[in-house]
Amino acid sequence: MKIDTFKYDNRIVRAFAIATVIWAIVGFTAGLLAAVQLFWPEANLNLQYTTFGRLRPLHTNAVIFAFVGNGMFMGIYYSLQRLCKARMFSDALSWLNFWGWNAIIVAAAVTLPLGITTSKEYAELEWPIDIAIAVVWVAFAVNLFGTIIRRREKHIYVAIWFYISCAITVAVLHIGNSLVIPASLFKSYPIYAGVQDALMQWWYGHNAVAFFLTTPYLGLMYYFLPKAAGRPVFSYRLSIIHFWALIFIYIWAGPHHLLYTALPDWAQSLGMVFSVMLVAPSWGGMLNGLLTLRGAWDKVRQEPMLKFMVVAITAYGMATLEGPLLSIKSVNSLSHYTDWTIAHVHTGALGWNGFLTFSILYWLFPKLWNTKLYSVKLANWHFWLGLMGIMFYAIPMYWAGVTQGLMWKEFTPDGFLRYPNFLETVLQLIPMYRLRAIGGTLFIIGACIGAYNLYRTAKSGKFEPDTEAQAAPLSDNPHPTGTGHRWLEAKPMLLTALSAVAILIGGAIEVIPLYLIKENVPTITSVKPYTALEVLGRDIYIREGCVGCHSQMVRPFRSETERYGEYSKAGEFVYEHPFLWGSKRTGPDLHREGGRYPDAWHYNHMENPRSTSPGSIMPPYPWLLTQKLDTNALPARIAALRKVGVPYPDGFENGPAQKELEAQARKIVGNLQLGMISNTPPDAEIIGMIAYLQRLGTDIKAAPPQAGITPATDQAVATANP
Amino acid sequence: MIKNVLSDIGGVGLYGIASVLLFFLVFSGAIVFALLKKKSFLNYMGALPLSDGTETDSKKQTDSLHE
Repeated sequence: MKIDTFKYDNRIVRAFAIATVIWAIVGFTAGLLAAVQLFWPEANLNLQYTTFGRLRPLHTNAVIFAFVGNGMFMGIYYSLQRLCKARMFSDALSWLNFWGWNAIIVAAAVTLPLGITTSKEYAELEWPIDIAIAVVWVAFAVNLFGTIIRRREKHIYVAIWFYISCAITVAVLHIGNSLVIPASLFKSYPIYAGVQDALMQWWYGHNAVAFFLTTPYLGLMYYFLPKAAGRPVFSYRLSIIHFWALIFIYIWAGPHHLLYTALPDWAQSLGMVFSVMLVAPSWGGMLNGLLTLRGAWDKVRQEPMLKFMVVAITAYGMATLEGPLLSIKSVNSLSHYTDWTIAHVHTGALGWNGFLTFSILYWLFPKLWNTKLYSVKLANWHFWLGLMGIMFYAIPMYWAGVTQGLMWKEFTPDGFLRYPNFLETVLQLIPMYRLRAIGGTLFIIGACIGAYNLYRTAKSGKFEPDTEAQAAPLSDNPHPTGTGHRWLEAKPMLLTALSAVAILIGGAIEVIPLYLIKENVPTITSVKPYTALEVLGRDIYIREGCVGCHSQMVRPFRSETERYGEYSKAGEFVYEHPFLWGSKRTGPDLHREGGRYPDAWHYNHMENPRSTSPGSIMPPYPWLLTQKLDTNALPARIAALRKVGVPYPDGFENGPAQKELEAQARKIVGNLQLGMISNTPPDAEIIGMIAYLQRLGTDIKAAPPQAGITPATDQAVATANP
Repeated sequence: MIKNVLSDIGGVGLYGIASVLLFFLVFSGAIVFALLKKKSFLNYMGALPLSDGTETDSKKQTDSLHE
C-alpha cells in the first residue's frame, strides 16, 4: 500500500493562537471599562470615543469575533488537518483568512469608537467591512472544503460536521442580515424596517450565538476533549443525534429575543417552543462531553487543561438550560431588558467560550513548541481566578436582574407603581455593578497570568513549523469494516447540502411570513416618515449607541403602560430603518418619550444628566452641544431612505428638506430660549437629537381611534401579568 | 392588532405544524440513522481524534506536566 508523507501546518495555528490571547485581553478590558462606567460614569475618560454606548459594541465584537473568532480558527486549523490527515488545502487562503480576519477586527476597533455603526447587535460594522467579512469567510470556507476533499481519512469525524455547519450558516446569516442601501462610505440603512428588521436581526443574532459561539466550539470539544483525556468520545451515536437535532432546532429559536414585542404572536410562540426543545440536544452534548471523562477524572485533578474543559462544558450545560428557561414567555416578561440576560450571556462567554479556549491553549502551546507547560501552578491560579471571576460576575447580575425586574412590576395596594421613578430601580443595582466589576477584574488577572504562562512556555521550547505525518491516500484506504450505512460521513458535499437544507428550511419558514407580515401590518395612517432634522437626530442616536441602554418597545403589560404610556404597535415602525427596539434597559424605555419633557429639559439632560436626574449613571454628552449637524450628508441619506421604502417625495432632498430642517431647528432654538438656554446654534447636534426624541412615539397620539387596536388597559388584563 | 395579523395571514397554523412536523422527521431520522450504525464503525469513529498520523497519546502530555 502506498503511504503519503505530508506536513501539518503549525504556523497558521500559532498565528491564530497568539491573536486569540491578545484579543482576549483587549476584549475583556474593554468590557471592564464599560462595566466600571455603570457605577462611575466618569470612567468614560470624558471622551465620546470611550463612552459606554460606543464601548459596548467594541467589547462584544472584540470578545465574539476577535477572541472567540481567532480561538475558533486556531482549533479548526489544528484539528481539521489532523482529522483529515491532510495539510490545509491552501496556505495562501489560510493566511488570507488570518490577516483578513484580523484586519477586519482592527477596522472594527477604529470605526466603532468613532460611532460608525449600524446599531444592530453583533452586526454593528458598516457595509464596506461587511463585504470584507464575506470575502474572508468565503476564503475560510473554500479552505475548509478543499481540505476535506483532499483528505486521507475516508470518514468525516463529527467535529468537522460542526465546522461545516458553522461555515455555511454564518455565511447565510451574515449576508441575510447585512442587506443595506449605502448612503455614504460609512452610513447605510437596512432594507428591512421595523418588525421585519427586528425578526431578521434576531434570526441573525440568535444564530450568531448558535453557529459562531456554539457549534464550532462543540466541534473543538469533540476533538480536544478525547485528545486530552486520552480516550474516545463517550457515545459517537449521541454525537450524531446531538449534531442534527442541534442545528435543526437552533435556527428556529431567534424570535425568543422578541417576546411580548410588536412581533406577531405566532412567531413568538414558534420561537419559544423551539427554544424549549433546544435543551435536549444541548444537554445530550454536554453529557457526552462530561461522560467522555469517565474513568479519567483523576486526570482532571492534575491537568489544568481538563479543569478548564470541565468548567467550560458545565457552563455550556448551565447556559443551555437557562436559555430555554428565559425563552418561556412568563419568565421572559420578568427577565427581558434586565441584567439577567447579561448574566446568561457571560456564563456562556466567560465559562463556555473563555474556558474552552484557555483549555485548548494550555494543551496546544506545549505541543506546538515541543516542550512542557512552563508552570502548572500558574495555570491553576488562572483557573481559580477565572472561576471566581465568573462567579463574581454572574451571581450579582442574576441578583440585579431579578431585583430590577420585580421592582419594575411592583404596584402599591392602591394600584400605583411602587417605583414610578425608573432611576430608583437603577440605583438599587449599583452595589451589584461594583461586584460585577470585581468579577471582571479577577477574570482579566487570570487571563494575564495565562498569557504570561503561555509566553514562557513558548520561550522554553522550539517551535515546530510543520509536523510530519503519514497516511495512505483515500483510494488505497478502504475502511476495514466495509461501507454499510456510513455513506454520509464519506460524502462531505452531501453532508454540507443536508445541513444547509436543515438551516435554510428553518430560516425560510421564519423569514417567508416576514414578507406576509409586510402586507398585513395594520397601517396606522398618522404614522409618517421622520422629518429631515429628525433623520439626522436619529443617526446621532444610532452613532452614540443609545440603543445599548434604552429600549423603544413598550410591552403590553400594565406595569409598562403605566410607566411609559401606550404599548408599542407593529404599525408604528414601518419607517424604522433600522429598528431600535433595543434589548436592555439600563435607562428607561424611550418609545413614548416624545412630548414628555420640554426641549430645555433634554438640553440640560444631555449636557449633564445628573442636573435633571440626580444620581443618574448616564454619561454626559457635552459634545452634542458643540458639534455641527452633518447637513451635507442629508441629501444622500434621504435618497437612501427613499430607496429602502420611506415615501419621501421626489426632489425632497434638494431644497425642501433643508428648508424644513431650518424651520424646525429654529423652532427648537426658540423653545430653548424660553427655557433660559440661549446662544444655541440651530445647526448644533443637540438640536437634531431633541427633534428626534420629541418625535418618538407621538404619531399614534394624533391617530383617530381605530378598530382593531385594543386599548392598553384591556390588553394588559388579557395578558394577566402582575 | 396581533389578532388582525394572525387572521390576515392565510393558513398561519400551517407554519407551526410544518415546523414541528419537520423537526419530528429530522429528529427521528437522526435517531434511526445513529441506531443503525455498527458498533465497530462507532468505535472507529470515536477514536479518530486519537489517531492523526502523528503521536497520539495524551499520557506524554500528562507526564510532561509533572516531571
